[in-house]
Amino acid sequence: MHLLVVDDSSTMRRIIINTLKKLGHNEIIEASNGREAIDRLAKDRVDLVITDWNMPEMSGIEFVRSVRTSRSREQLPILMVTTNAAHDDIVAAVEAGVNNYVVKPFTPETMREKIQAVTAGVEGGA
Amino acid sequence: MKDHLIAHLVAATHEVFETMAGTTLRSCPPIEPSAFAPMANVVATVGFAGGISGLVTLYSGFAAARAITGAMLGMEAAEVNGEMPDAMGEMANMIAGLFRSKLVAEGLPCDISIPTVTVGSDFSTRYGSEVTRVLCPFEMGNEEIFVGLALTGN
Repeated sequence: MHLLVVDDSSTMRRIIINTLKKLGHNEIIEASNGREAIDRLAKDRVDLVITDWNMPEMSGIEFVRSVRTSRSREQLPILMVTTNAAHDDIVAAVEAGVNNYVVKPFTPETMREKIQAVTAGVEGGA
Repeated sequence: MKDHLIAHLVAATHEVFETMAGTTLRSCPPIEPSAFAPMANVVATVGFAGGISGLVTLYSGFAAARAITGAMLGMEAAEVNGEMPDAMGEMANMIAGLFRSKLVAEGLPCDISIPTVTVGSDFSTRYGSEVTRVLCPFEMGNEEIFVGLALTGN
């Protein structure tokens, strides 16, 4: 499975990528904001997006809304990793098109469960 | 400072350190200072505003900051260099985010800012006289860190 990790924090990208590698995922590309992520989606194969919410230039919510405007990416699994864990935050994320949600801080087990949940039925899913 | 806010901050700090850095901290009694500022080389701050407003600040020395960063990223503390400010900002961000979630659950909706991190050896941080502050000290092995809460207009 090919994964795209989107986060403005190089630390969080590294933590997420380290976690994904522990879970057996090795096909990982990264982007530091929503605009860069859109470029990566246009150029690279991506089976699952893992994105932050709070980012400069283009927030995670804006990025997800942009992705969902493309018919070919309506079903692309998107997981949001963020500290915004209130009920209203989750509603806003789901309304934007996020499939599931990982609240920071998170364990590898939580990440594994969420990836399984959003990729169930997706060809090549973990 | 209300005790339950301090309890929320301490609980959030423990959870973030244990989950993201695999580090168990030892809590020490909170300090409500009028002028006391911890000696720190790395100060990571996240603001929050809404039904309640203020700042969550993580203070540490260079050695502790490198140890925390190394633990987060799976590397030796001695190898840590340019990664440290961003990592400490993320730690403050997660502590403030968990703290904010607890406030929202209590009916105090607020949003948090992006983190800002100051690194150096000769600086101090000052607050206005209307700010209520508490500092929560923690022992991390032989190092001491502080997590501060400053509230405005409450």
